[in-house]
Amino acid sequence: MRNRVGELRIARGWSQGELAATLGVSRQTVNSIENGRYLPSLPLALSLARTFDTAVEGLFIPDTEDLT
Amino acid sequence: MTSSTLTGHRAATAVVFLGAGGALALATWIGGQRGLALGLVGFYLACAVVAYAWAGRDSDVGAALRAGGDERQRHLDRDATAIAGLVMIVLAIVGGITSAALNGGDLGVYGLFAAVGGATYAVAFAVLSRRS
Repeated sequence: MRNRVGELRIARGWSQGELAATLGVSRQTVNSIENGRYLPSLPLALSLARTFDTAVEGLFIPDTEDLT
Repeated sequence: MTSSTLTGHRAATAVVFLGAGGALALATWIGGQRGLALGLVGFYLACAVVAYAWAGRDSDVGAALRAGGDERQRHLDRDATAIAGLVMIVLAIVGGITSAALNGGDLGVYGLFAAVGGATYAVAFAVLSRRS
């Protein structure tokens, strides 16, 4: 599963810590999400989407093997 | 804007070290090994100080020591706890088999550990499956 979290965060000029504070999670978790090591829960994915004013589908891009 | 969410209680793990270590030291003192008891007090006191200091850091380990953290950090803590539990159950089973072989069928305290581990798993699975 790829995602555009890092790309959209940088485009807004935010640090990982600033995004983390907005979402109420740790900086380490934002880093893990951006690097694809952690898939957030649905509530956190929705918070991310709302923060970036987009849909979850616009934020997370499934690989072929993710679509079973 | 702050960059961290230092949720939980900084003294959580330190209190566990002090409580459990103090009880162990007291039992050792009552058992007559006073030198060892004093050594245990020093050891667990040092552990508590390190835990308290580390719990103040903005890190995954710090979050675990605070018994706090966000969803990912709680998952890490839960998974690590599950792995530790599995290792302890395997150790209890292997220990029970070894004890039975050496002591003519007596599982020893390992049998109790294995039984408690198995029963806890069964009850936990039943309860959790109803909640999800």
